Amino acid sequence: MKQLTFSISRLDGRLMVFLISLWAICRATIATAHPMPNSVVLLNVHANRIDAELQIPLVELQSAWGHAVNDSSARLVERLGPQLRAYLKAHIRPQSPDGRFWTVSVGELTAHESQNPINGVYRELTAQVQMIPPAGDDVRQFTFFYDVVLHQVMTHKILVLVRQDWERGQLAESEPVQVGTISLDIVNNRILPLPISIESGSHWAGFTAMVKLGMQHIAEGTDHLLFLLVLLLPAPLLVIGQRWGRFGGVRYSLKRLLLIVTAFTVGHSITLLAGSLGWVRLPSQPVEILIAVSILVSAAHAVRPLFPGREAWIAAGFGLIHGLAFASTLANLQLDAGPMALSILGFNLGIEFMQVFIILLVIPWLILLSRTQSYRVVRLTGAFLAAVAAMAWVIERITGQTNSLTRGVEQMASYAPYGLGILALIALWLTWRMKRTSQLPVL
Amino acid sequence: MKRKNLSIFLLLLFSFSHIFESCKSTEVETSTTTSGGSTSTGSTTSNSSTITTTLSTTATTTTCNSTGVAQIVCLAEAFKSTLSSTQLATTQLTYSKTNAQKWSNLPAGMSARIGINLGSLSDTQLAAFRNLMVAVLSLNTTNEGYDEMIGNLVADDYLNTIGGGSDYGAGNYYISFLGTPSTSSLWAILFTGHHYTQPFTFNGGANTGVTPAFRGTEPQAAVTAANRTYQAFEQERVAFAAMLTGLSTAEQTTAKLSGSYNDLVLGPGQDGKFPATKSGLQVGNLSSDKQALVLSAIKLYVNDLDANLAASILTKYTSELANTYISYSGTTAMASQGDYVRVDGPSVWIEFSYQGGVIIKNTPHSHSVWRDHTSDYGGN
Repeated sequence: MKQLTFSISRLDGRLMVFLISLWAICRATIATAHPMPNSVVLLNVHANRIDAELQIPLVELQSAWGHAVNDSSARLVERLGPQLRAYLKAHIRPQSPDGRFWTVSVGELTAHESQNPINGVYRELTAQVQMIPPAGDDVRQFTFFYDVVLHQVMTHKILVLVRQDWERGQLAESEPVQVGTISLDIVNNRILPLPISIESGSHWAGFTAMVKLGMQHIAEGTDHLLFLLVLLLPAPLLVIGQRWGRFGGVRYSLKRLLLIVTAFTVGHSITLLAGSLGWVRLPSQPVEILIAVSILVSAAHAVRPLFPGREAWIAAGFGLIHGLAFASTLANLQLDAGPMALSILGFNLGIEFMQVFIILLVIPWLILLSRTQSYRVVRLTGAFLAAVAAMAWVIERITGQTNSLTRGVEQMASYAPYGLGILALIALWLTWRMKRTSQLPVL
Repeated sequence: MKRKNLSIFLLLLFSFSHIFESCKSTEVETSTTTSGGSTSTGSTTSNSSTITTTLSTTATTTTCNSTGVAQIVCLAEAFKSTLSSTQLATTQLTYSKTNAQKWSNLPAGMSARIGINLGSLSDTQLAAFRNLMVAVLSLNTTNEGYDEMIGNLVADDYLNTIGGGSDYGAGNYYISFLGTPSTSSLWAILFTGHHYTQPFTFNGGANTGVTPAFRGTEPQAAVTAANRTYQAFEQERVAFAAMLTGLSTAEQTTAKLSGSYNDLVLGPGQDGKFPATKSGLQVGNLSSDKQALVLSAIKLYVNDLDANLAASILTKYTSELANTYISYSGTTAMASQGDYVRVDGPSVWIEFSYQGGVIIKNTPHSHSVWRDHTSDYGGN
């Protein structure tokens, strides 16, 4: 949902209204799914284990367990951690079709406030539980004996959902999929286990989901693209003295463009790999600030050649930084080695697809324009605007607060397709005009 | 990561599919809930206290002099005749079990109802609505029957004013006719809102069912409105406490359920799931004065109805009283959160749950459902 709200803030006019109302409708149906504070079990399906997150309302846990966990919830985990873990273990018993029970271990416990429109604010226990089937048993087929709270509180309900299932292309960024509800069989007054049969997936589904995610990250990552576009801005030009000179020819331009893009890719691929495998971990704030700085540097370079001929090295260097930001997305998935390798590949391919797509949309017009006298104005305007945006981001990322400039950038970004159209029109018009006066340099 | 869209068409490509996916998956999630139809939004603009003031006036003028179902049909038609064609289309719906099941214990804003909301009715229309309701509910008993209904709306108005907001209040109660009112065919009156749902099913000129009827109130304490003090659902709580505390210790032990109950078992959406085996204490084994306490509690539900509608139902429940079971969980005082009581007979099913406060925190409030093993939704 977080990403969704970000994308909505960037839309204009009626489209935004439409999307927001659609989003509100979706939110409303989520709300009615929890009439009383129910328990929720979120499953993260891995190749040979399931990591589950339990969300248990303390008011219901107190009715079931006896301890005053809701009436005095302060320092709950410190006070009752071991007993809570033992209680949870006794009531969570996944069983394979061959009758063997799984190994269950209870990890981190946290007590915190939760909220829904029906019950308002209430306190909740979140527990991280790992469930491992016996050797050789399928992780996707089991009978879920789960009666935490429900063993005593007959009106309790437990919603079981899959939050992440890489092999089916389901990532934690989308809405969880419900697999069933555990509740009292009222007619027969008994609590039945939930048979769980999760459709098997494939490495291909996981891989393509990651390609899509990679494309999405670039499509929504104005800062990454801005860096690249600004770096490409002077690429078709020759350096004459300490200044940007005239158009260097198509072959020259394409060679330089290709070099820059490839260098950027190599750079961010290295840190994406290192970061998502956990070899390198940097806090996100300095990384985000450095990304904004990278835009500022390439804007300055577009004004005056700061590092002529060494663009590729700069692109590679800043690529390393951008890759760190991509890596945090992958690391959060907590995948096993095999899927992780495929994910890194898929995610990177997605990033490349989208980068190449955007560049292909922009480059023809840049090359056309760079042959004209007006390119100086285009280049300097672009560099100036990018520099302003970059400085706004630097301030935002240092202070942690949005400012009117970054909000403006968000607004501007939504008009990018129009900007591209105008750029194309200007390029075509100037080319046509210069052709008439035969002022064009040869291609 | 600060993420910004480069272009709208890219958004169309990616975010759209994302949004639709999230809708799709939440639909699956709601399959376990009782969210109802979508013909109404549950919001209202009129002043709710005006509604209860108008409805609590005693003057009733009606041209329907017939009796029984014929009079109810006449009054239903009289109410319909006050409605505009748009309002009528909202109110007069086809009879189907699916429509009949669209009730809930949630405010209408959180679980949409069908029919027309009181908040959109004029005074004339409200008066015609009142004429109909006083014909199907009992009149002139404080906090019972029609008076209980008003008290319930008053309590919801109160929740509106103390922070519940526009989801709450008398304007968010809905009336609909399922099937065309007639003395020959199948039809029903469904009046439903947050803490009050009362259906009346008719077929072939006879009443065939008055359940599932939901009652409840928050706050449980008295609320004053229009120079009256209402405590809509207190007598029921007191009657159950009297019934349970009247038992001997041994009888209480037999009646006590092993599990805990923080809500109703057969609430909205839990249709036709009566337990195969009855739990607790058989009323036939009790002394006559203790049996009378059980019947007193049952009467507080059945006698909410007009005497003609109530008579045969009460006769049946009385004749089946010896084979009726009572059970409870929590304490016998029915005074704290988690206290729960159940009456389960060959026909009658009543549950009363004293549960945690929602708008008024740390203060319990009641939820209760009256069902019938065979005549829920008129036996349909």
